[in-house]
Amino acid sequence: MNIHRFLFLLLALMITVVIRVEAQKDSVEQKEIVRLHYFNSNNSLQYLLLESILKTGKKSEPQKHKVFKIFLDSDKVENHITKVLTDEYGKAKAVIPVSLKPIWDGASSHTFIVVAEATSKEEETSSEFTITKSKIAIDTSSAEDAKSITVRVMKLNNGEWVPAKDVEMKIAVLRLGGLLQVGDEESYTTDSTGTATAEFKKAGLPGDQQGNLILSARVEDNDELGNLSIEKSVPWGIATKPDNNFFAQRTLWSTRFKTPIWLLLMAYSIGIGVWGTLIYLVGQIIKIKKLGDHFMDGSSQPPM
Amino acid sequence: MINSTAPTSEEITRDLLPQKFGTRGKIWTVSLMLISLVGVFAYYRQLKYGLEVTHMRDYVSWGIYISNFVFFVAISLVGSLITAIFRLANVKWSTPLTRIAEIIAVSAIVFASIIIIVDMGRPERFMNLFIHGRIQSPIMWDVIVIGTYFFISCLLLYFPLLPDLKILIRFKDQTGKALNRLYRFQGSFWKGTKAQSRISRKSIHILCIIIIPVAFCIHTVTSWLFATTYRPGWDSTNFGAYFISGAFLVGAGGVVVAMYVFRKVYKLENYITIKHFDKMGKIVVLLALLYLYFNVNEYLVPAFKMKKPEAEHLTELFLGEYAPVFWFAILVGMIIPILILVFKKGRRPLPMFIAGSMVVVGAWFKRYLIVTPTLLHPFLPMQEVPQSFHRYFPSWEEWAIAMGSLAGALLVITFFARIYPIIPIQETITEQNGKDEHS
Amino acid sequence: MKEVDASSRRKFLITGLMAGMAAGCNTNQNPFANTDETVIPSGEKVKLLSVDGEIIEVDKAFLKPVPDLPTISNKEERKGIEGKKFVMVIDLSRCKNLKKCQSACNHMHHVHPGQNWIKVYGMQDAEQTAPYWQPTTCMHCDEPPCVKVCPVDATFKRQDGIVLIDSDRCIGCRFCMAACPYSTRVFNWGDPELPEEIAEQKYSCETSTPQKKGTVGKCDFCPDMVRKGQLPHCVSACPNGVFLFGDMNEDSVTNGSETFRFSDLIKDKAGYRLMEDLGTRPRVYYLPPVNRNFPFESGLENENDEDKKNILK
Repeated sequence: MNIHRFLFLLLALMITVVIRVEAQKDSVEQKEIVRLHYFNSNNSLQYLLLESILKTGKKSEPQKHKVFKIFLDSDKVENHITKVLTDEYGKAKAVIPVSLKPIWDGASSHTFIVVAEATSKEEETSSEFTITKSKIAIDTSSAEDAKSITVRVMKLNNGEWVPAKDVEMKIAVLRLGGLLQVGDEESYTTDSTGTATAEFKKAGLPGDQQGNLILSARVEDNDELGNLSIEKSVPWGIATKPDNNFFAQRTLWSTRFKTPIWLLLMAYSIGIGVWGTLIYLVGQIIKIKKLGDHFMDGSSQPPM
Repeated sequence: MINSTAPTSEEITRDLLPQKFGTRGKIWTVSLMLISLVGVFAYYRQLKYGLEVTHMRDYVSWGIYISNFVFFVAISLVGSLITAIFRLANVKWSTPLTRIAEIIAVSAIVFASIIIIVDMGRPERFMNLFIHGRIQSPIMWDVIVIGTYFFISCLLLYFPLLPDLKILIRFKDQTGKALNRLYRFQGSFWKGTKAQSRISRKSIHILCIIIIPVAFCIHTVTSWLFATTYRPGWDSTNFGAYFISGAFLVGAGGVVVAMYVFRKVYKLENYITIKHFDKMGKIVVLLALLYLYFNVNEYLVPAFKMKKPEAEHLTELFLGEYAPVFWFAILVGMIIPILILVFKKGRRPLPMFIAGSMVVVGAWFKRYLIVTPTLLHPFLPMQEVPQSFHRYFPSWEEWAIAMGSLAGALLVITFFARIYPIIPIQETITEQNGKDEHS
Repeated sequence: MKEVDASSRRKFLITGLMAGMAAGCNTNQNPFANTDETVIPSGEKVKLLSVDGEIIEVDKAFLKPVPDLPTISNKEERKGIEGKKFVMVIDLSRCKNLKKCQSACNHMHHVHPGQNWIKVYGMQDAEQTAPYWQPTTCMHCDEPPCVKVCPVDATFKRQDGIVLIDSDRCIGCRFCMAACPYSTRVFNWGDPELPEEIAEQKYSCETSTPQKKGTVGKCDFCPDMVRKGQLPHCVSACPNGVFLFGDMNEDSVTNGSETFRFSDLIKDKAGYRLMEDLGTRPRVYYLPPVNRNFPFESGLENENDEDKKNILK
């Protein structure tokens, strides 16, 4: 009796667990996340970078090859910016076409509407991203012992340029694949006049062949302004000449066109010496053959 | 010392002419062919599926193909020892052995080249060695030096063959039409005139001189394929000399085995005598002692220090997984043959044959030990690879190809002995006449 | 329009995508607009609206999130990128054996299952010393023992310091594998397992794809990514920023989010190289596993059972 009760309880427990697991499976929702980043580069070139991510539980994957429509301010046909297809990293890029100039010029801030079209599996979804037009300027001053960089950010407010306050930015030197901060701080924030100042503390940094460094100020994913960037080239680096002597050396690891001379000499002298002798010996065989061919009568064996 | 029943030129010629295969010869040849064919089939599989059919993997990236290659290169060195060094040193008793040594050298070097092509992942790109060859690489040195050694060995086989070809051509009835045509093609121009003999003698002399440094080169360069890396067990300045001494030993062992077999099969007791065995026995002892000396250098010195990367490798050899093979190679490859051959009774044909076989077999395993255990002891620990990468035992395809190549080498020697006199006829006659005159 | 001279076409993309945007503009308002070296023109132009409502033209190549690069000849792949000296720093204090570097690398290069170009070793130098995780890539040595021994120039050292393999030339002798003390090279023993579209691609030394049967493969420092202004796959895949990649001529290394001055970093954290005594002069530096972000044990869960046994031995 007891054992039956135990088994029954065990069964009940197992069923509960199974149901729980099933329920959990359902609750692991797939969530589509669309992000739109607005980029303003050097106050001139602007573009949109769309990022589409599919989140399953904790795991997120890029949504490849998905079509999105992007609109400016309103999802009417005349406000259509472009239709994009995400690449294998789930990303797509768009620029604002010339035809939308009246709408673009008409307001200080704009809303981008991203529409994922309805498919057989999914419903139409749309998301909105708003930015305010802005501009960014970079200025440098260099005294004997102190070099500084001043960055000013302005935004358009009801048709008027006003300083953008509390904008966080990076001020850095452009390097391969990354931004090397100019001073001790990782980021700088604009004050009420819209300016941020950074001290340049990277003395002796190698620049290009003329000693130029490219400074860059970057506002990254600001809620109001989007991504702003500006660059300036300054002669604050050390001029570096690409050193190809290393590659031009004749070494044991060089290509066959750059064999060390001593090795070539050794190899060729040994090779020529040995093979010269061998060719001579082949010549001797030919000589023996000629001698034999002249010696017509082979019947009698001459004394050795 | 010359007994009154010294054979005449006619008898010598008749004794030494190549003979048709008997039943045993046929069985021997056919079985060698079968073994080679299995090897060819295994190689076909390797070509089709890639080196995946072998059990070599990323750590043991060189296996028995390379040890077999080293073995072949080693054994081929004997050609230079018996032929050149003895000839230059005016050692007369070695005359009957020269051709045996030379054909072992040629066939071994041919199969060394074949086995190295078998080891390549992309054999069809062999020509890249000549199109894009890079002289900084020890492999290029090996390619050049092996090619050269092969050529010299062929010449050294050919020059002394010329007078014999003349004799062979005379015995058209016995040798058959096809062979006669071959002999005529190769040597019908040899009339044995004074001028011809002089040129030939001089050429042989030059060859004997030039083959010695080239022979040293081929095995030194082969040892450098290992010694130019950083690996514990290979990173040794001793390697060139170590390889050469080992090569002379296995070559001499190989000649002893071949002497015994040819003597038995072709009934050459009058030509390959007890005296020859006795002298070869002494030489094998000398070479085995020499090789033992280099082995002591090679293992004792690092074992005294036990540097970290070396320690694991040496412990594995002395006491670990490879200890049975290691001590087998030392004992059977060197110590036991020495013990047999130091005694006069041990230098009789049969014990000599056993000792010679031990030397050869021991040498083959020695080459295996030089290649594989080192690769299993890299500097960084073996991690992040499938379990099968952690050890190495050759697959059947590897065994088949390795054995097939050995059979192939023996087959070349067998056919050579079928076509040409394995003991130089003319030289034997000349020496006999010389002896007669002296007596 | 700013003219782009032909020779700069393949010049290296130093600053990547963002900075590259400026280059194609027809406005010369900004005298410091980036130099034209970052342009990879397709020839076609696209008109678009600028921030201040002007009409500007850019090259069509900018419309792609990842720019396409013109294909590079084998000769140029062998020469390498001019003026660069690539370097990597691996910070052992940040590694917890997540192996994300490895999976990204294997995925992008279609490395044969079971084999790895990047290995994360569980290391313990002596009985009483602390264990640590040590990722290894190819060391791209300045005295590369593997290149020394190659008989056909199939593996070679480029002017930017990278050691590459040309699988179209490799004869599969595996001498390089024996010569490499870091056990970094792997061999394609059988037919590589490749998706069809990859297998049909033309082989490139810089992407090391498609892998070929009977040839050697190894970490290539992803010069194709660097040409696009992006970081090697292992660097961008590591969530802990263990790998730092950069150009010695710029004296900087970055993992994408943090950028350091290379010389300062090596000095401050006592950087070193593996097996310095062999004289191979690697281009990969290590920062010692001090002040670690993770305990060693936290990495054990990602280790396979067999290796775990060996590590804990």
